[in-house]
Amino acid sequence: MPRCLAVTFLTFLLAPMALPQAASTGALEVSGRVKIDGKVEKLTRKRFYLFTGGLKENSSLLERIRTAEVVSRDCYYKRAKASQPFICWLQAADCESPYCRTPSESEIQSVPEFKAAFTKGMTQFRSKPAIARDWLLTNMSANLVNGFYLQKRTLSETLLGNAKPLQSSMTDTITVKSIFIDIPVPVATKFTVSNILAMEVGKKSYVWACEVSVEPGKTAKLNLQVPEAGKTIKNCEVIVKDLPQCGTGACEQK
Amino acid sequence: MKLRVLFIFAFFASAAAVMFLGPSDPASAQRRDKGFSHASASHKKIDCSSCHKVPTSNWVSTRGYPDVADFPGHASCINCHRRDFFSGNRPAICAGCHTNPGPRGAARFPFPVRSRSQEFSIVFPHDVHQDLIARNVKQTETVVAHFVPTNFRSADDPKTPEFNNCAICHKTTEKLPKYGPRVSAGVKPLVEAATGAFLPAAGFFKDSPNSHASCFTCHYQNQKPARTDCAGCHKLTTPYFDSNTISRYSIKFDHLSKNHVNKDCMTCHVRIAQNSDIAKMKDADVPILTCSTSSCHGPVIREEIGKREASLEEKKPTFQCIYCHSPEVGRFPIPPSHQN
Repeated sequence: MPRCLAVTFLTFLLAPMALPQAASTGALEVSGRVKIDGKVEKLTRKRFYLFTGGLKENSSLLERIRTAEVVSRDCYYKRAKASQPFICWLQAADCESPYCRTPSESEIQSVPEFKAAFTKGMTQFRSKPAIARDWLLTNMSANLVNGFYLQKRTLSETLLGNAKPLQSSMTDTITVKSIFIDIPVPVATKFTVSNILAMEVGKKSYVWACEVSVEPGKTAKLNLQVPEAGKTIKNCEVIVKDLPQCGTGACEQK
Repeated sequence: MKLRVLFIFAFFASAAAVMFLGPSDPASAQRRDKGFSHASASHKKIDCSSCHKVPTSNWVSTRGYPDVADFPGHASCINCHRRDFFSGNRPAICAGCHTNPGPRGAARFPFPVRSRSQEFSIVFPHDVHQDLIARNVKQTETVVAHFVPTNFRSADDPKTPEFNNCAICHKTTEKLPKYGPRVSAGVKPLVEAATGAFLPAAGFFKDSPNSHASCFTCHYQNQKPARTDCAGCHKLTTPYFDSNTISRYSIKFDHLSKNHVNKDCMTCHVRIAQNSDIAKMKDADVPILTCSTSSCHGPVIREEIGKREASLEEKKPTFQCIYCHSPEVGRFPIPPSHQN
């Protein structure tokens, strides 16, 4: 019994000393500046996921990503019966939804969906144009406002299945980097990074799944690349698909 | 026969009493002294929108935008609290909303009563909102010669479209808010804080929404949670008083300095992109990594950490880190996050 007490006492005495002085964590920096067809594209505000294990350990996830159907932004809105001016308004600044930016006065007048919502808002909000304008999206149908996002979210849940990402992170618009921090790594450990949802660049879609090794106390770096025709990139699988054409009309691009 | 008559009389008498007095909860009068609580067992069963009208009829004069700008009407309370309404000349129940309780006291407190404890916390998924306002940056400057169905660059359009971003909710503060040091719980300082106060400017800070104004622009209707789905954002919690004090590890960070103002918020606020509930975020949403690995601040931060370690090793007066921190924070042990 006294020995037992002594062990307990020693445990309490030594406990604070046993606290880790430096966490066994590492970091990962994914650069979203990618050379595609000779031009550097900036993949800004794109979400990347970090999975435990390398490409081999995440093979079933990869298989789901490979076979996933890509519904482009234009196809989604065409199917949702959006007007051509609305689709062009999205295209003009490469927006995925009307949450992206505030329509100007002239845009409200020239895009039928905006005009209808504004007129409805004027009736509902006691003829106050500022509210009808600022709350424009509340008078638009949900499928045109957040439908594309919800569809992508559903797809990401399907693709993930039982795979639970350790973290997710988004690229910013200045450095175009996606940073993962506090990755628990007692020793150098393999991880898979992927955007899982296809990113639209030009007329193609891109999904990256890359294997990286993260070491404690260090920041691993990953530069996304697109392989030249017939070639591969070490430790990366890049799934490139042609975007489906949905008969959306042409828009002025500036 | 007499018994039967008595029974019928008793039945009708009790029915009349219920009709007149209502199904009053005997304990409700006692609870009045404590004020209204959303957390009572009976109130928790009621749907928020059955009492709160959205918008209330006074929104134009009170808020300027459709909002819940007033207390629920008497009809919301009277079914259960009829007896409380008629107890004495100055019924306690009236004091919940009226400045002068009593039958003639029509004036009401401004809604909500800010001096009272708050019963709800806000759930705001930053990750969902950041996914939704995500966009590509327009890459090409080449004019494509196609048929032009719509022109989006008319005279009143700005040259650069204004994209929605964090700033739609978080604006630079115009007045210096209440602020204080943020310290990790359970960690003891190494020394007393050195003297010398640092005074930040208003522009160091960003606002956070404290009304429905910024939420309703999207969530008024159609987009869930809509205005009548109060529980979509408001979760009952232990009553608390909002201190309105901004706690910062690094009080010296100036959002408006020339080398910060040109950055994307997410360049530094790395953790926020994956946060589904701000209340559950334990660490700073700006990790030290974003500053300590930069060429601007990295050398000074490493130098300060070196000075701290040296002072401890040489048993000299503990060096306090004041490049980023005020002495109230800089006197604490260097956290593991700074040692990677």
